[in-house]
Amino acid sequence: MKHRSFLLLLLISMLIAACGGSTTPTTAPTTAPAATATTETAAATEVPAATEVVATEAITGTEAPAATKTTDSTGSVPAVNPNYAELVRAEAGEFKGTKVSIFGLWVEAEDAAFNQTLAAFEARTGIDVQYEGSKDFETLIPVRAEGGNAPDIAGFSQPGLMATLARKNKLVDISSFIKPEDLQKDYIQSWIDLGSVDNTLYGVFFRASTKSIVWYPVPAFEEAGYTIPQTWDEMTALSDKMVADGNTPWCIGLEHGNVTGWVATDWMEDIMLRTASPETYDKWVSHEIPFNDPSVKNAAEIMGKIWFNEQYVAGGREGILTTAVADTQTPMFNADKPGCWLHRQAGWIPSFFPEGKKAGTDSNFFYLPPIDPALGKPVLGGGDVFAMFNDRPEVRAVLQYLASPESAKGWVEAGGFISPNQSVDLAWYGNDIDRRQAEIIKEATVFRFDASDLMPAEVGVGTFWKGMVDYVNNTDIDTVLTTIEESWPKN
Amino acid sequence: MRIQRLVSRSFVHFAVIAIAFLWTLPTVGVLVSSFRPENDVKNSGWWNALKHPFEESVWTFKNYADVISANGLGEAFVNTLVVTIPATILPITVAAFAAYAFAWMKFPGRDWLFAMVIGLMVVPLQVALIPILRLYTQTGIAGTFLGLWLAHTGFGLPLAIYLLYNYISQLPGDLIESAKIDGASDFTVFMRIVLPLSTPAIASFAIFQFLWIWNDLLVSLVFLGTNKVLTVKLSELTGSLGNKWHLLTAGAFVSMIVPLAVFFALQRYFVRGLLAGSVKG
Repeated sequence: MKHRSFLLLLLISMLIAACGGSTTPTTAPTTAPAATATTETAAATEVPAATEVVATEAITGTEAPAATKTTDSTGSVPAVNPNYAELVRAEAGEFKGTKVSIFGLWVEAEDAAFNQTLAAFEARTGIDVQYEGSKDFETLIPVRAEGGNAPDIAGFSQPGLMATLARKNKLVDISSFIKPEDLQKDYIQSWIDLGSVDNTLYGVFFRASTKSIVWYPVPAFEEAGYTIPQTWDEMTALSDKMVADGNTPWCIGLEHGNVTGWVATDWMEDIMLRTASPETYDKWVSHEIPFNDPSVKNAAEIMGKIWFNEQYVAGGREGILTTAVADTQTPMFNADKPGCWLHRQAGWIPSFFPEGKKAGTDSNFFYLPPIDPALGKPVLGGGDVFAMFNDRPEVRAVLQYLASPESAKGWVEAGGFISPNQSVDLAWYGNDIDRRQAEIIKEATVFRFDASDLMPAEVGVGTFWKGMVDYVNNTDIDTVLTTIEESWPKN
Repeated sequence: MRIQRLVSRSFVHFAVIAIAFLWTLPTVGVLVSSFRPENDVKNSGWWNALKHPFEESVWTFKNYADVISANGLGEAFVNTLVVTIPATILPITVAAFAAYAFAWMKFPGRDWLFAMVIGLMVVPLQVALIPILRLYTQTGIAGTFLGLWLAHTGFGLPLAIYLLYNYISQLPGDLIESAKIDGASDFTVFMRIVLPLSTPAIASFAIFQFLWIWNDLLVSLVFLGTNKVLTVKLSELTGSLGNKWHLLTAGAFVSMIVPLAVFFALQRYFVRGLLAGSVKG
């Protein structure tokens, strides 16, 4: 083990050394294989993994891979959409010496990666983009906005929160300098709709994630001869087979401090998309159908069939309530045999894998299969949207840049990041895990945003979470849904 | 008779030891956890480490190394000191003057004013965040240390005044009256008599205020912005998704060093000060 991690370190440091020393972008690709070649004799099996090492390390938050990409992102000046007037002026150096503050919820490794991806832009334009990240973003941004101390740009992960601030006239209507028709070149309509509040464009999506994936333990899964299910029924059959083999199929954990419950809302939403039409889903989000509509109840019952089957879930109901979200998948890596085999969770979960476990080799994912074939392949996801508080030309330029595919390139290459921008080339992705998720998002017949993030905060980050906890706690589903329905804000 | 006393005493001893044990157990758990490797912390309870205490693989200093080497931790430490020291001294200074005035000076509206100060104790500081931030933005001190000092001072004052008032008003009136007869002004009385006699109460409140500001997350998050204090930094150490929470235990001990030092330095006042105003002398 020690020996192996030393080798990884060696590989990474060689990559850094190789790329750091080079002045032209072309050096990087040629030196990388050379680095693997030197270690070939020492660890023949490691060689194919070399690129993956960089990739998965990036997911777990090491800053090293980001550093290796410096030369790539500074190498060329990207083509600028000529309709982005302020961005053109910025690239011409007109806003040199100005400052733009961005406030968001990425900290530590992600903070570094975001700064990294903007570094080239800052160097070219002379605009000092000051990013500040806080884990308490959602608490702070309304306070700052109300207190008149808002940042120039804020990155929301909950469009509902953005909408609340937009309706309070705290945000700038961006459609005058980022025209929807320009945005349509880079984004599919659903992202533009998600960035709009009451038909006014406020936000530009910068980061996407998919939640419609199920993680499984690759070696044990293959050894047991299980196959990846293509339909919901196949998935249920697989669960039954696992039970018959003396295994516990599902890893489910709800506990997450003051945000406990969101895992269940994600399940509900994924099942809604697979059993009801996208229109019904939208009506559910906008409260055109009541929360205790039969379609919602149906989704909850389908969820209950998996969740409340004591043989299916590790630890049963109590396990669901007491397992921390971060630790949910840990039993999957038990040395003797997986404590649970299937985990429906978003693409960031590898950050929580036990030390030394890698996404792709130790645990991989498959698309959460459809229930009703007529509904195609729906994908549930989330994303981060940038919106503007202060209208100055340099702030416009930064937002226009963030709407362009080039702004994502650095982070996409570094890994642990998926762009909703369709002009971002799949070939840019630094690792397969990211690329496959980006593909799932691109190929989705229906893409819908996490409903709880779109609902009013009282419900989306309040009673919906709480109601789901009650549901697991043996409260009957009608009571739960009616309680949530009654909590919906009246106006 | 003797046996009875022995039994009752050993019972007391047993109870005290049991309570002390229960009370320290969580802290011991945090301490043990802080020296365990990441995988162990995430997979099993801290007591598992004590099953094989002499195996090398059970212990590690990596958590401490990660915390201490984290970017900007030193700066955060300095920031916290810059915030904490003035924000402790300011409210105590103001509160001591105010407490003296409320206790020994006669002026119109005194009782009414005092009732208002006491009333402010029950107002949660959260309701004041937005109005104060608005005021700060207008005056341009949002995001500065000055703003944070003033905020902490304001939030700390009601309790400070109340505690010090309780103590100062219990000082023997003869002492103050005789000083007055000798021609001392209120200021002289305060500086020469009241202040030296109130040291225990002041020291004990200083500990309260110091600990509260040192551990404060909310107020500095709202008012300080980019200058990050220790608590903010530590909460960020766990990563955007909280995936590095195993570092929290080590972080807790790192951040505890200074408050512990302060507490032990001032603890002999602390116990005396706690009794401030509780016994009529």
